[in-house]
Parts: sequence; structure tokens; C-alpha cells
Amino acid sequence: MLNFTLRKLIGMIPMLIIITFLIYWGIELMPGDVIDFLIPMDQLAEMSAEEIAAFKAAKGLDGPMIVRYLSWLKDVCTGNLGFSLQNNMPVSELMMQKLPATIELSLAALIISTVLGILLGVVSALKKGKIADNVLTVAGMIGVAIPQFLFGIFCIILFCLQLNWFPVGQRGDGGLLSELHHLFLPAFVLGISQTAGVMRYSRSSMLDSMNRDYVKTARAKGLPEWKVNMYHGFRVACTPVMVLIGFRLPTLISGAIVIENIFQWPGVGRWFTDAIKTQNTPIIMSVGLFMVLMVLLSSLLVDVLTAVLDPRVKLS
Amino acid sequence: MKNTKKTALDRKLDKIRVAEESGKLGTKLTNRTLRKLTSNKLAVFGAILFVVICVLCFGAPLFTRYSPTEFSLTEIQAKPSLAHIFGTDQMGRDIWSRMLYGGRISIIVGLGSALGAALLGVTLGMYVGYLGGWVDKILMKLADIFMSIPQMVMIIIIVALVGQSLQNLIIIFILTGWPSMYRMARSKVLSLREEEFVQSLRAFGISRTKIAFKHMLPNALGPIVVNITLSTAMFILQEASLSVLNYGVPMELATWGNIISVITNSGTIRFDWLDKWWMWLPCSIMLILFVLSINFIGDGMRDASDPTQIG
Repeated sequence: MLNFTLRKLIGMIPMLIIITFLIYWGIELMPGDVIDFLIPMDQLAEMSAEEIAAFKAAKGLDGPMIVRYLSWLKDVCTGNLGFSLQNNMPVSELMMQKLPATIELSLAALIISTVLGILLGVVSALKKGKIADNVLTVAGMIGVAIPQFLFGIFCIILFCLQLNWFPVGQRGDGGLLSELHHLFLPAFVLGISQTAGVMRYSRSSMLDSMNRDYVKTARAKGLPEWKVNMYHGFRVACTPVMVLIGFRLPTLISGAIVIENIFQWPGVGRWFTDAIKTQNTPIIMSVGLFMVLMVLLSSLLVDVLTAVLDPRVKLS
Repeated sequence: MKNTKKTALDRKLDKIRVAEESGKLGTKLTNRTLRKLTSNKLAVFGAILFVVICVLCFGAPLFTRYSPTEFSLTEIQAKPSLAHIFGTDQMGRDIWSRMLYGGRISIIVGLGSALGAALLGVTLGMYVGYLGGWVDKILMKLADIFMSIPQMVMIIIIVALVGQSLQNLIIIFILTGWPSMYRMARSKVLSLREEEFVQSLRAFGISRTKIAFKHMLPNALGPIVVNITLSTAMFILQEASLSVLNYGVPMELATWGNIISVITNSGTIRFDWLDKWWMWLPCSIMLILFVLSINFIGDGMRDASDPTQIG
């Protein structure tokens, strides 16, 4: 297993280089000049060509793209993510401010969607064909059909404006209670909108495992029904559900872009969309690198986890 | 499903099988699939809803009195009335006609992108997956790369790159949608390749192209069609999300996403407009109903094309 993990990790390096190069190239091709976003229009009009060139050189914006990409790559390898073009703050420092907010939101949503999704999926599978199952299936489909941002708006109208239970947007101010108070609604919206998928998946994998021979054997042994369901049915049904959750880890961060905007959550997603609007290359590259790394690492995690959970799977 | 209790749908499918075996109904596979589909209440409901919304949108001139672009400065943000059933927007344009004309574009974006992605992904998957070799390796790596970049991030970067327009959005959706189609078609082909009928076709000296598209494709069609319906729904939702982030189709063009996103201002909610519900709520409901109808149809098709689900 160690061998497999190491090989995969080494295989990620060329992949990361190709993808980051593509993103860098993409930013380079964007219409408009970065300089327009850095210097106010009236000042720019008064600057001479030499002054602009000097300004660009000071910011490291001159020279051919490939040279700049390579120097970015070199910096990243030494742990330097660069400086924000807008305010010259180190990107790593800004990242440390934004990342906790996103991780907090995503993790809470992941927990909500996992617990709720597995629970409802198992109930649905055990009650297959009955009213509970049909209601849950239809509810799940309605859940998938509502755009995340609309669900967020509905929740804000209901819980923040009408009932006044939660504050609108923003993060809490340090105290645990205030943090939770602010966190709950966005995490709830993000979590619920992802529950339907988990529910559907755990329903079908539970149904699948309930038809297997070992479940029948367990039932024939005379085990109580709940023990059959939990120890024999559910345990095996868990593996594919874990795989799904593993694949969801990275989408939680990019999936939070919309929710972060709606709830004015000061996380990576909002920061990223703002950076794209102003062509702030160091920020776009750092966030992009981080997101891609998450995808690659979680797919590795999924491979390893499946092998650990399911003894029939062999890594190769 | 042997020892689980039979559901209402199972009982219906049993009836179909009995009728087929007694010779009352034809036994062609398409007949059976269609019959299974029509016995699924949700799928029928979805199909009706889908047809109704499509007729409304594509026959928009028949159901509306106003042009979607005609604005009147005397009737800005007017409440719903007999003259304008869903009121008017911030420029005095009739919302009902904007919803219908906008629906055209949203449906075209969703369906067009899904079909385009399927065409690209399935053609490549069927042919290259069957042949294997270095082209397959490269495409597989490419699909991996495309799937490694979070979809929303990739779409935002490409939109910023090529600019906002209808065609660009469809192209971007196709670009981000083909890898999953490619993978699906490829895995299907890999299992079909070992089937005996394919081996014997090869032995008869029939060309690879013909085997791939004439003989293998029909066998893989079920999951492909399901995937197309479900990605149509996904693309329509993504179009709406992109509009909220200001990365969608240009604002002057009415789409469901653009109509709904008046309630937001570069991502954040415009609280002073929340009580003007007619400006965004009816259109949201229409979008939700449409996506729901596609999901019902797709789900019904998944069950209908699944041969393990009869009798």
C-alpha cells in the first residue's frame, strides 16, 4: 500500500505542472491588461510608457509568459506563493485568513449532508416501496432541482428576515456561540443541497447489499432484524458511500463559491471570484493549485480507503 | 429483488410481462422500454410537464402579448395585473414574456450542451475506447485533467478568458461535460468488446468503425440517454448559478438565470427587492419545475432501460 501511495504521489507532480501551466496560460490570455486594475484610470493616462514598463518590472509582470510561469513554479516549490498584486500582501498570509472560513463551512456542510444522507438513504432502502421511501425519493429530486443560491435566498428570507433566528451572512466575531450562530444557516443550505445525492447513493448501495447472500445467511442464523441491517447490510453498504464522500471533498470548496457569495462569507470562493475579476494572478494560481491538489489527494484517499474498507479490492 | 416485497411498480411490470408472454403485446425491446416508462407515474408526470413548458417557451408568441425586449418607462416594476400577469421588471419589460422567451435560451443551452458533450464524448469513447492504443491513453489523461479542475472554477476561468456570450457558454459546457461522457462510453465499450457478438463480427471482417457505431452503440444507448437528460438539468442549473455570479449569458439576453439573478447584485442579495416577488419568484418556480421534470424523465428512463428491473 505504501508503494502504491508513493507511486501515485509522484505521478501527481507532472499532472500538477500541466494543470497549473494551463491555468497560468488561461489568465495570460484573458482580455484586458492587468495594469488597468492596478492603477486608477486618470493616473494611468498621465504615465509615460517607460513608467508603465518600470511599474510592470517592479511587479514582475514583464518578460515572456513561460519565464514568469517557471519563476512562479520555482517560488511555489520553495513555499513562496507570491504577493497579491492589489495590496502587496503575501498570498500565504491572506490564504490563512480565508481558508479557515471555507474549511469551517465546508466541513460543517459535509457532516450535515453525510449524516442526513446516510440516515435517510438507509431508512428509504429499508422501507422500499412504502410511503416513506416514495416521499424521500421525490423530496430528494425536488432538492436536486432547486438551485443552491435560490435555496439560500429562500432560507435567508424565512429564517433571517421573517423569523429573525439567524443573522444574515458574515462570520461570527470570535466567540464560539456567535461563530456557530453565523455558521449554521450557510452550512445548512450547503449541506442540504448535497444531501440528496448522498441519500440516493446510500439507498441504492444499501438495497444492493441487502440482497447479498451473507445478509440472507445472517437472517437465517436468526439474528434480530436490526442487527442484520446494521452489522451486515449497512457495514458493507458504507464502502461506496465513503467513496462518494471522498470524491465530494474537493467539490465542497468549489461548490461553496455560490453560497459564499450569497451569504457574504469571507472565504476562499469569494476571494477567488474577486481575484479573477481583477486578474490577480498570484491569488488565482494559489487557489487553483490548492483546489487541484485537493482533487488529486482525495482521489488517492478514495483509492486507499476502498482498499482498507473492502478486503476484496487490491491496489495495483 | 427476489425476496424483497414487491412494490406497486414491480406489480405493474409483472402485469406487462404476463401480457407479453400471453402474446397480447409485442415483445420488441423498444416496446417494452416504452411500456415500462409509461407505467411509471413520475416519469409520465415529468414528460407532461416537460412538454407543457417546451410548448409554452417555443410557442412564446402565441402565449404572450408583449415583446420580451420592449420596455416602457411608465410601468417600471409594476405589480402583477391583468395587463401583465407577472408584472414588469426594473425596465418595464413584461416578465411573463421574458420568462417564455428566456426559457427558449435556457433550454437550448441545457439541451444543446448536453447533446454536444454527448456527441463528442460518446463518439470518442466508442471509437477510441474500442481501438485502444496511444490516442486512448492521451484522451484518458486529458479527461483526468479536465475532471481534476473543479468544474465551476474551470467555467469561471474560461468565461473570463473568452468573454460572455451564448455560443461561448455552450462551448464551455461542452468542454467541461465531455470527460464524464467519454469515461462512461469507454467503460461500456471495454465490457462490450469482449462479448461474443463483437468477436464474431470481427471474425466476419466487418470494419471497426461499423462495429463501434452500428453494433456497439445501440447496446450502450440506455445509460447515454439517461446521462444526457441528467446533464441537461445540470447545465440549466449551472447557467442560473453563473448568472448570479455575473459570469453567465450577457445580461441583455433574457434567460431564466438572468431573470432570477435580478435579485442578486454581483453575488450578494438585493434586500430592497425581496418584496417585489414577481420579479424573480415565478421564474424560479418555472426553472425548478423544468429541472424537476427532466429529472423525473431521466430517472424513469434509468429504470426502464435497466433489464434487471422486470419481473
